[in-house]
Amino acid sequence: MATNAAGIIFSNLNDNTLSRMTAERTVAAIPFACRYRLVDFCLSNLVNADISNISIIANYNYRALAEHIGSGKDWDLARRNGGVRLISPYSTARSGAARLYSTHMEALKNMREYIRDLGEEYVIIMDSDNVLNIDLHEVLNLHKKTDANITMVTMPVGKDFSSKHPRLMISSVAGKVTDIALSSTYKATHPEVSLTIWVMRTDYLLGLIDEADAYNLDSLTNMLIKNFRHMNIRSYCYTGYVASVSSFLDYYRCSIELTTNEKARESLLWKESAPIFTRVHNSAPTVYSANAKVSDSMIADDCVIEGEVINSVLFRGVKVGRGAVIRDSVLFAGTTVGKNASLTSIVTDEDVVVSDGTSLAGNLNMPFYIQRGRKV
Amino acid sequence: MYCKKECIAMLLAGGQGSRLYDLTKMTAKPAVSFGGKYKIIDFPLSNCINSGIDTVGVLTQYQPLALNEYMGNGATWDLDRTRGGLSVLPPYQGNQKSDWYKGTANAIYQNINFIRQYNPDYVLILSGDHIYRMDYSKMLEQHKATGAACTIATITVPIEEASRFGICNTGADNSIYEFEEKPKKPKNNQASMGIYIFSTPKLIEYLERDEARENSSNDFGKDVIPDLLASGEKLFAYRFSGYWKDVGTISSLWESNMDLIGENPTLSLSDRSFRVYSRNTARAPQYLGKTSKTVNSLISEGCRIYGEVENSILSGGVVVEEGAEVRDSVIMEDVVIRKGAKIYTSIVDSDTIVEAGATVGHKGADKNDITVIGKGSVIRPADPIG
Repeated sequence: MATNAAGIIFSNLNDNTLSRMTAERTVAAIPFACRYRLVDFCLSNLVNADISNISIIANYNYRALAEHIGSGKDWDLARRNGGVRLISPYSTARSGAARLYSTHMEALKNMREYIRDLGEEYVIIMDSDNVLNIDLHEVLNLHKKTDANITMVTMPVGKDFSSKHPRLMISSVAGKVTDIALSSTYKATHPEVSLTIWVMRTDYLLGLIDEADAYNLDSLTNMLIKNFRHMNIRSYCYTGYVASVSSFLDYYRCSIELTTNEKARESLLWKESAPIFTRVHNSAPTVYSANAKVSDSMIADDCVIEGEVINSVLFRGVKVGRGAVIRDSVLFAGTTVGKNASLTSIVTDEDVVVSDGTSLAGNLNMPFYIQRGRKV
Repeated sequence: MYCKKECIAMLLAGGQGSRLYDLTKMTAKPAVSFGGKYKIIDFPLSNCINSGIDTVGVLTQYQPLALNEYMGNGATWDLDRTRGGLSVLPPYQGNQKSDWYKGTANAIYQNINFIRQYNPDYVLILSGDHIYRMDYSKMLEQHKATGAACTIATITVPIEEASRFGICNTGADNSIYEFEEKPKKPKNNQASMGIYIFSTPKLIEYLERDEARENSSNDFGKDVIPDLLASGEKLFAYRFSGYWKDVGTISSLWESNMDLIGENPTLSLSDRSFRVYSRNTARAPQYLGKTSKTVNSLISEGCRIYGEVENSILSGGVVVEEGAEVRDSVIMEDVVIRKGAKIYTSIVDSDTIVEAGATVGHKGADKNDITVIGKGSVIRPADPIG
């Protein structure tokens, strides 16, 4: 059964937090966990909740994202009705001069009529930098049952939670939100961090947009922080695994965690009833040679492994030469590691070539990143 | 509507493949898994698209459900086209008579109207039981250059095996003067690969003649080709060299899978210039745990390996638990091999569960002693298997 909700995915409001990896792509298109890009988790969560009317808001640098989404067929989103659409940036009378948006609200203002015309009763707005496998049916049902204005998906965190970049923090009592603030100014005994998945009625969102328009406000977050006492905001506390990719170090740690934490793999990737869909390529099986030694690692198809791989994540088409040792590393698609090379705590972007005998090492707190196409 | 194609392909995919026993009990042979990520039919279909042929009729008959589901609309091979593309052609009821496909020639005969829709100059006839990569456009070039009525692709086989094949006896220019179906005393080792290119008018003419002959077995090799020769038509052999294997028996299917592994495999599917396409799924990545030992093997997406895998091919979603052993075997989709279970020299069909401590097959057995486990079996330690 189709669900009467539209999904709106923001693809790159957080590009600056992952600046090196977003040189040639948006956050939504960052590769993660061997074969996915971050947007796959948003799309799959929506599709698995029978939501098939999905818009992805692009801003700039979205070539890789557009290529990844294609017709949407891989998520079963190539539809006559609904399906997935990539909304490329444009300016309107509302946004004034040719200026790209930098907040959710600026983009939403531009899209007011578009959102109305989607014709769905509810909207689910989400960012793409929180990676989780969540049952959105349950969130939507809770939202309907409590008749909230907004339901925010949150994750409980410790009192000493800190973040390099400001995150939206929440306190709630029996699901009712009692405090909202940015992490830089926030103090509470049972804090929750927002995972930037917001559910509301389409009418309510249109009302917020009109309000922002009337008072010339451009931040939905600030509107919530100011007005939450007058609104009925509920939190849906998610307790499964979340990879919050809000810095390069976060990205690296979450990637390696997937090789060590069975619960994380089960929660994120191995739910039988909620598979993560992605653009499938035509790839051959991975070849493990007579000298391969692989443990605690996640490997995509089309790799050729002749060396040793420990606690690492290998994307499609990675080649590991004989005698090479890969430890605590993340190798993007097409990385070639030469014979007897050694990599420890390295993230290589696509098509990096590591020549024979080269040795590179970072550590778990300071991984090194090698740009796309580099030869080292 | 005008929809002319220069050459279309007709793929005979209706065979039972009875010598694959349990593997084809519920599935037509072309839908049998191969090489971890493929089905046998991926090879001829990929060859078609790699040769520039975008219109393929697939003739189905025996157990077509898995095959139909797999082919879908042909998108896997880029054959979901507005004009042409992949069409599934099952036997159907006509206004005068209705019939199952009686032989290879009769199957094509019953679909002459499908061929006419595209008004092709040439028709390529293929079968769905071989593993090979071939550029049919080169064969078509030769066919055009010689002006033949029919061109038969041939391959050199060891002379002692020649009597299993249709043998083409040719002149120095590769023109065929004699065709012998499974001869007791072969004069030659140029075996027909069951791949024919016909000039369309000749194909239709000889199919109609064959159909009119009462005692014909309606088979290309046995009836149609000899008739063309007897009538003085020009037939040529197109000599193919490269990997080609009939995977019609358990031992040849196992051998062909094993050809994919080793230091310098006889058949490599990683070659990007002439890809074999297959339907890829969105399974999770492979995961190899701390206790995993995986060597000299091909592993596909969705596998989780905590045990030992050696000289084996694993299809998607196979689980090998801690302490389990898989050696010299072909394991198809979603098989679960529980703790301490052992599998030696076997072909295990999909969805099978091998319970903890069970053993399948004989360690170090050869190609004549392959153990086959049918789809969805549950193997317990007490079951004597192999």
